[in-house]
Amino acid sequence: MRSNDYLHLTLTSLRSSRMRSGLTILGIAIGICAVVLLTTLGEGLRVYVMDNFSQFGSRLIAINPGKSQTGCTGGLLASTRPLLVEDAWSLQRLPYVEYVVPVVQGSGAIEYGRRVRYTDIIGSGSDMAPAWRFEVAQGRSLPDGREGYPQPWAVLGHKVKQELFGDKNALGQFIRVGGERYRVVGVMAAKGQMLGFDLDDIVYIPVERALSLFNRTGVMEIDVTYRPGTTAEAMAERIRQRLIARHGVEDFSLITQDEMLKSLDRILAILTLAIGGLGGISLVVGAIGIITIMVTTVHERRAEIGLLRAIGATQRQVMWLFLGEAILLALIGGLVGILISGLALGLLALAIPALPIQLSPFYLLLALLLSALVGLVSGVLPARRAASLNPVLALQSE
Amino acid sequence: MIRLEQLCKRYQLGDEPVQALDHVDLSITAGEYLSVMGPSGSGKSTLLNMLGLLDTPDSGHYWLNDEEMTTLGEEARAAERNRRIGFVFQAYHLIDRLSARENIELPLVLTGTAPTERRQKVDELLQRLNLDRHANHRPNQLSGGQRQRVAIARAVIRKPALLLADEPTGNLDSHSGQEVIELLEELNTEGITLIMVTHDANMGRRARRRLWMQDGKLLKDEQDARP
Amino acid sequence: MRGPDLLRFNLRLLIGQWFRTLMTLLAAAVGVAAVLLLTGMGEGARRFVLEEFNLLGNDVLIVLPGRKETTGGVPPLTGEGTRDLTIEDAEALLHLPGVRRVAPLIVGLTEVEAGGRNRELVVVGSSAELFHMRQMKTAQGQILPPLPLDRAEPVCVIGHEVRRSLFDQQPVLGRWLRTADRRCRVIGVLEDRGVSLGTDLSEAVIIPVASAQQLFNTQGLFRLFVQVQHLELIDSVKPAILELIQTRHQGERDITLITQDSLLGVFDDVLQLLTLAVGAIAAISLVVAGILIMNITLISVSQRTPEIGLLKALGASERQVHRLFLSEALMMALLGALLGVLIGYALLWSGHWLWPQFPVSVPIWALTGAVLLAIGVALVFAWLPARKAARLPPVLALKGG
Repeated sequence: MRSNDYLHLTLTSLRSSRMRSGLTILGIAIGICAVVLLTTLGEGLRVYVMDNFSQFGSRLIAINPGKSQTGCTGGLLASTRPLLVEDAWSLQRLPYVEYVVPVVQGSGAIEYGRRVRYTDIIGSGSDMAPAWRFEVAQGRSLPDGREGYPQPWAVLGHKVKQELFGDKNALGQFIRVGGERYRVVGVMAAKGQMLGFDLDDIVYIPVERALSLFNRTGVMEIDVTYRPGTTAEAMAERIRQRLIARHGVEDFSLITQDEMLKSLDRILAILTLAIGGLGGISLVVGAIGIITIMVTTVHERRAEIGLLRAIGATQRQVMWLFLGEAILLALIGGLVGILISGLALGLLALAIPALPIQLSPFYLLLALLLSALVGLVSGVLPARRAASLNPVLALQSE
Repeated sequence: MIRLEQLCKRYQLGDEPVQALDHVDLSITAGEYLSVMGPSGSGKSTLLNMLGLLDTPDSGHYWLNDEEMTTLGEEARAAERNRRIGFVFQAYHLIDRLSARENIELPLVLTGTAPTERRQKVDELLQRLNLDRHANHRPNQLSGGQRQRVAIARAVIRKPALLLADEPTGNLDSHSGQEVIELLEELNTEGITLIMVTHDANMGRRARRRLWMQDGKLLKDEQDARP
Repeated sequence: MRGPDLLRFNLRLLIGQWFRTLMTLLAAAVGVAAVLLLTGMGEGARRFVLEEFNLLGNDVLIVLPGRKETTGGVPPLTGEGTRDLTIEDAEALLHLPGVRRVAPLIVGLTEVEAGGRNRELVVVGSSAELFHMRQMKTAQGQILPPLPLDRAEPVCVIGHEVRRSLFDQQPVLGRWLRTADRRCRVIGVLEDRGVSLGTDLSEAVIIPVASAQQLFNTQGLFRLFVQVQHLELIDSVKPAILELIQTRHQGERDITLITQDSLLGVFDDVLQLLTLAVGAIAAISLVVAGILIMNITLISVSQRTPEIGLLKALGASERQVHRLFLSEALMMALLGALLGVLIGYALLWSGHWLWPQFPVSVPIWALTGAVLLAIGVALVFAWLPARKAARLPPVLALKGG
């Protein structure tokens, strides 16, 4: 049978019972809408989080003291085998290494004149700004500890500068960090928030001085960025060998940005699928709707089925006619659902511009395929039932 | 053209088995005009269904144009029903949501005939049966007689060899009924073998060969002498 | 029409159309079961988290060194302050009115070696008070002895997992552990408390805080726990602690105080919101079930048009016909909801049976909400079709429609 004719026959069936078809379509539409909306929001969240994390650049390897991978909290806890600043500087000479960033983090009181502000304090080196893609808005970045014990110079985060200095120029001014006197040599550009952590409410001082400020021997983390031309695994191995040579044992843990991003990505993708699956529950009920309506329809049109067989339709043709109705119902439902979700997402985007919405054509196509699948699965049993009706008995039922 | 040999069919009706066809033997040549009469439950409709390949016998043989029909698979039977057999029912069995034209062209649509070819053939028939004004009307917009004529058109659009009619005038008033019978007989004169089941003796007597059935057996087989 | 008669009338009908009824039941059941299952899991997760964190008790305040201006953000987790929290600070706090116990905390990672085996483990430096505060009991031996906080003793209490991984089933009391370049003698093993969220000490070695200071070569405390005598005293003790530390730290208020409540409060809110959201999403399926009910009722009306005509001819009013069809839909929804409740609970309980640690409890609001929603949906979606039936002119209806 020609596909045009097939389509025409199927459409006339759906059109003849408009209310019934319409309601069935609506059921599927709601289900698909739920799935599309949820996966879109989930995808948006994933992209948002990934973007936030990738802002520190790729080709980055983080080294923490302590072997066990108790998350990346290795730096939080004390250690008997500290990672030293000297360890960091020793890595500088490895091939492909671009930047080396030793990190210590704490918090304390920052004073300027009579103003006091309690903020985070990060001790690091001159490589921090380029490695983490932080822009220095004014002045210069931290001094380099490789050229001797660094001066007591500090760089202010954007918010700290605003709070302590207002619009006045901060460069060259003296502040007290944890009671010690520092000179402001730079101000960072505004970076915003990252997952609740205010990146602008920080004061940066040289890592060596931070170590003495917080009374520590070891740093909490060493970040190393490397140039292209080598793989993450190769780079990690080089670092590992160098540190083992210095420490005698592998009492540290390495994690590449790649690995971290990949596992994060995986988790978020699974999460997105899970919430999409939640929307799928409505789709299941929609499928039940299709089955119910199809069975009812087949029963009602028994005589017609008998007639079709009498004029020479094969069982397969009968089956495909009814299956086609089910699939078409579901597909139209899918289209309507996609339209509705498109509208809803558009409204949401207008209402909450900050909401990360990622409309991906991939998911839309998937949604359409899903609805076709739903139609297929729900329609197959009623359609086979229709095909297997005894034509003689069917004809007698009018 | 048709040869039935010891055809048997049994049904289970509740607790009791019913012998719908009891060792029926029958030979029909091409172009004949037969009526099948008998009380209800005599098996005449079952016989028609067998002839029309709508049903399969429990035992016996059915040759149509020297081809054994009883061994055919369902797909092959469907093909035969499409090409060589036309059905006309008491209840018309038109599809309500399709127009007269669309109803008539159904057999052609099922086998993938091109739309232009279909249109041509359907137009011819519509003209001939005085239905061209109603081509785009739905069955519920037609009278009983018109509906049956649409059904007949559908039955003969493929120019089948065999035309089977099961109480074709049962739902019609006498005037429309007359029209329909005359149409069927006209088609028969053009060479289509016509077999009509009826409970109306007057109707049945019009046929040149008359069969009577009772309890699944062929009781009487009367033939007019050729003019 | 009398209630029981109506019921019987409908029941015969529903059984007659058993497939349709079954499918509609199923649709409603899926919706209700989904809501119950998902909210049950969400609520279970919430309870689990709260229970775990509750181990510390509501009457404990947590003192962290360091402070951030932007309150309400992430507290200074790294615990590095410019001025250390000292043991002396801890001892001073003990004298505050309303304070019952004070326990210092130093946490670190180090290599622990025993019996030829070697693991990197968490080492916790604290005091006997910690055990009392957290109601930690030993399965063998004793807890840390009550020592002056500045006294280092080479003794330790190990978690039961530590015992298993370092000693297998051998007797362990009196054995020596090597922690980095120091040693300590095992005097107790913590009892097995099952899965614990994040505050799991089964893989930790607990030593006196002064020993930890030596081991990690650090003076400052990671945390300070302060337990008040009565729950109501928390509000008065908080400012007292802040003042005392401020005085001791040369006028610097460089600590952060957290109460268990505030920590849990955040979790509680988030998890409740999550449960609600998840339940709402599942509830959408009930709306879809409602659409099916509308569809089925419409079909039912058109199929039973002659019957309606007959009823009216026999004297049934419009309202009675309306109520008839409405009650039919209601019955299906109720039965479906019941089925859904059964399925939902069955699934939850079998899940609980498989993983006993995971509490599952369906919040009452979810149960009543789901059932009410099912009923409401049936009413809303069957209303118009029922009205259509009610409005059918008897003559037309008797003709067969």
